[in-house]
Amino acid sequence: MIATARRWRLDAGLAAAATAGLVVVLAALVSLTGAFDAGLALNIDARLAAPSAAHWFGTDPLGRDVLAMIAAGARVSLGVSLGAVAIGLGIGVPLGLVAAVVGGVGDEAVARLNDLVFAMPSLLLAVLLAATMGPGPANAVIALGVFNVPVFARLSRAGARTLLARDFVLAARVAGKGRLRIALEHLLPNLTGLLIVQATIQLALGIAAEAGLSYVGLGAQPPAPSWGRMLNDAQTLTAIAPWLAWCPGIALSVTVLALSVLGERLREVFDPRARR
Amino acid sequence: MTGRAGPRRWRPGAALLAAVLLAAGPASAAPSTASRDDAAITLGMALEPPNLDPTQSAAEATEDVVYCNVFEGLTRIAEDGSVVPALARAWSISDDGLTYRFHLHPGVRFHDGTPLTALDAKYSLDRARAAGSTNPLHDLLAAIKSIEVDSELELRIELARPVADLLTYLGWGNLVIMSPATSGRAATAPIGTGPFRFKEWRKGDAIVLDRNEDYWGPRARLRRVTFRIVPDSSTSLAALRAGDVDGFENFPSPESVAALARDPRFAVVVGSTEGETLLAINNARAPFNDLRVRRALSHAVDRNAIIKGAMYGYGQPIGSHFPPHHPAYIDLTGRYPYDPAAARALLAEAGYPHGFAVTLKLPPPYYARRSGEIIAAELAAVGIRVTLQNVEWAQWLDQVFKNRDFDLTIVSHTEPLDYDIYARPGYYFGYSNPAYTALLDRLSRDRDPQERRQMLGEVQRMLAEDAVNVFLFELPKLGVWRADLHGLWREAPVQGMDVTRAWLDAPAAAGTEQHTGSLPALLLAIAGFAAVALGGLALSRQVSPRYLAGRLGSLALTLLLASAVIFVLVEILPGDPAAYMMGLNASPDAVAHLRADYGLDTPPLQQYLAWLAGVARGDLGLSYTYRVPVAGLVAERLAVSVPLALYALVLAALLAFPLGLAAAARAGTRTDATLMGLAQVGLAVPNFWLGILLILLFAVQLHWFAAGGFPGWDAGIGRALAALTLPAIALAVPQGCILARVLRASLGEALREDYVRTARAKGLTGGQALWRHALPNALIPVLTIVGLQFSFLLAGAILVETVFSLPGIGRLIFQATTQRDLIVVRSVVLLLVAAVVVVNFLVELSYAVVDPRLHQGSRA
Repeated sequence: MIATARRWRLDAGLAAAATAGLVVVLAALVSLTGAFDAGLALNIDARLAAPSAAHWFGTDPLGRDVLAMIAAGARVSLGVSLGAVAIGLGIGVPLGLVAAVVGGVGDEAVARLNDLVFAMPSLLLAVLLAATMGPGPANAVIALGVFNVPVFARLSRAGARTLLARDFVLAARVAGKGRLRIALEHLLPNLTGLLIVQATIQLALGIAAEAGLSYVGLGAQPPAPSWGRMLNDAQTLTAIAPWLAWCPGIALSVTVLALSVLGERLREVFDPRARR
Repeated sequence: MTGRAGPRRWRPGAALLAAVLLAAGPASAAPSTASRDDAAITLGMALEPPNLDPTQSAAEATEDVVYCNVFEGLTRIAEDGSVVPALARAWSISDDGLTYRFHLHPGVRFHDGTPLTALDAKYSLDRARAAGSTNPLHDLLAAIKSIEVDSELELRIELARPVADLLTYLGWGNLVIMSPATSGRAATAPIGTGPFRFKEWRKGDAIVLDRNEDYWGPRARLRRVTFRIVPDSSTSLAALRAGDVDGFENFPSPESVAALARDPRFAVVVGSTEGETLLAINNARAPFNDLRVRRALSHAVDRNAIIKGAMYGYGQPIGSHFPPHHPAYIDLTGRYPYDPAAARALLAEAGYPHGFAVTLKLPPPYYARRSGEIIAAELAAVGIRVTLQNVEWAQWLDQVFKNRDFDLTIVSHTEPLDYDIYARPGYYFGYSNPAYTALLDRLSRDRDPQERRQMLGEVQRMLAEDAVNVFLFELPKLGVWRADLHGLWREAPVQGMDVTRAWLDAPAAAGTEQHTGSLPALLLAIAGFAAVALGGLALSRQVSPRYLAGRLGSLALTLLLASAVIFVLVEILPGDPAAYMMGLNASPDAVAHLRADYGLDTPPLQQYLAWLAGVARGDLGLSYTYRVPVAGLVAERLAVSVPLALYALVLAALLAFPLGLAAAARAGTRTDATLMGLAQVGLAVPNFWLGILLILLFAVQLHWFAAGGFPGWDAGIGRALAALTLPAIALAVPQGCILARVLRASLGEALREDYVRTARAKGLTGGQALWRHALPNALIPVLTIVGLQFSFLLAGAILVETVFSLPGIGRLIFQATTQRDLIVVRSVVLLLVAAVVVVNFLVELSYAVVDPRLHQGSRA
């Protein structure tokens, strides 16, 4: 019984990784080679065409190829989420490590700050931040990144504190290593697994949040395509062109799903003690 | 009465109609026009008016609601654009055109019962032309020397020089007649003389007018008209189809018009407006100060592609700032035909062979945003690289209109006879042509029709020759309403939505009504919070006072820090709320006065402390946009959000428990993996997309539910809950899946504990052990998640509230942010953060009660 469940999850994990990889490749294609650029040109005469051999997912109200739009949207979604995760890692991890190593008032301050940000309803404040700073992908990265910082800070702080009690760290301190070196040489490498897992999960959450921001008009601005905005535009056209509502939504769900499953599988890889 | 298959209101109507026809025979086959006049209708509108006083505000939405319906002027503009008598039953003009005498109707009363006299007319017009007035027509009235009252019903206007269009101006909404006693409150409680009286204004939701039974003229045939705010194109179609509104005079979704025209339930009436839609150019800024560059822009833009792509074929192309339906119109669309090569040549000649980069600022209307994308592509084809910037109205008014900080923008000028804006000094186009100003001056004095026609032709030619803006198309009036609704206008020769002669066919049709009242829901919310508070109190008895004090102190500190962060965040929002509130033609003095009123000019620290002091008193301040207490606004919105959150939580639990329990009971099997896999898929689906799909299936196709909107708790618990059902499902599915997985994980842990093994050894079955031992212990982490979910559902439902057009708290914050209503934003956000913090606090307390180890030692 247990063997059956393990094998099933192994397959799902692989499928997830493969899909996520496909999305990444698509996004890379668009940004690097411009292979889809022809499909992104306006062509009013060909607008609202149903899916066909020429246009696999049909065309949108301005005649653009929906597949090209989804691929370009993938680049935006992944770009924004990666940026947000980078901010979370770049600021959150040092913050958490410092808090754990230094302790005392600094530690309390970081804990308070974390609690404060966690207390705020994240999507609402992301919307507020993006509306404050103006719409656009750069500001979306910042708005989402702000909420990744406490996630990674809390994770690295908790992980570091566990590690600090371990023998090899005590040995290093006895040997006279400074706290910064200990953090860099001993704590960080041992946290990498946890960080990778969390980063994958935050990536999935970031893509969903970016779609939400784009839906209300605060993400990537026209003419750059984004999945959330495509869904908003599609709402009035569901009677004439239902594929416009289905395709971006499916792309979104599949990407988020793939990344979440990938994250779960990675968690099992890095922490074999975690049992279901 | 809850919505099921089919348009619910018309089935009883149809049955009654059939019965009447059968009973009375063929003689009554024709629809009776003298029949029931107790019908009520709901019309949708995209923009909410900032206030209801058309004499102080230039907002079109204000006149849409009150013009001719609530307020009347001396004259009125009929549907064909002609000037007809209104409060003045007759008038005479002296031969030199300098003296106008008006004879007012006798027996006219204001809605508060006071009689109308010429003194009221004098008061209203003097108020409009006074120095410092914010009336949009202030400058046009400069030629008035004096206004005299000759008798109770006789008014005389003396002019310094002839004003050819004076009677037209008097027929516009900006010069309606008010009484001095009530004009001060016109912004929120208008008292006029019209066939409808103002009933109520539910901010962000709807404005209600009731029939004036004491009207001096022909009685209105509708008992009640509700103007409902439907801001998005997407929800407009759904609202119309589902019957939530009876029609739109300006339907914001041209792509849906063709399908609606084929639907026998609806009548589609397409006319024209006075709206010249322009690609407006900043003539004062390089390179646009060069005529060749402006002409190149005109050549580069393909009007027909824009009309086809953005407007789906609706709208007539124009070549100058003049409406095609006007008798004096000249077709100048051929002056600059679509010719990218000519455009490039002109740009090269002007010194820009490689083009240049510009920004194009787009305000919210759909025609601006959609045209913007097409124009950007067309300009790119001639080398002009366009960056699109979507802005809200507040920012557009601030940046483009007031500060003239723009390159290009797209906007539609819907005032009639507004070619005079090209002669206004300091207008945002930055155009200044003495010949044009002189021409307009001659035009304003000349009343001879032949000469006027010729001069109007000159006006059009001059603007086209100078290519001041790129003239795109005349905005169409896309009227879509119930097939049995008549009397609404086809054309819009003036700003306003005149419903005074509208009626409904069906004899027993009650129309749509929007009841409201948040009182029952407010009581529900208060009861809920009271329960939570009592629960908290009970819990707190079981922990040590020191621990409790520590946690409370921590809570207070968090709230204080949060308030500071929120205040700072909101302060740095760009855009001046006072300017937005005053509208297009406010004088700097008036704006400064408003800023002082709201304390916007005191130092930030003082504002912060004043705010905190107010919150402690329960005074959340006065909203900028609505000028009502924020606490009231919040209560109305909570009446939707709290029940929605609770409803979604219940549904999520209903989903999660069977799923989690079933998976845990068969831990390690394929069933377990499949169920958890399904949960994994469920939580990956974005809740707003799920909402769109639910609308598509259950509202548009099956008509089981309304497609959005909230009828209010007064409409009945059943109808209100029905309106919340689809949104609650959209929210509940992802949250329920998360909950299922957490439950499964914690049940899995609990099942591995020794006491379960002991129970099994004692002879309990797996199921009994699960239910009696594992589940109670597994509920602890689940409780935490539920607590966190409630806060997410309350505030994070902003997306779902947008999809379904629910007047909830998330939507309030979003709308207030775009309107720069800082007071609402910061108080509501603080309130939400406080709710989240309190819920988390209670969850932590319950944790401590269940596990005493947690509060005896120091913080883990």
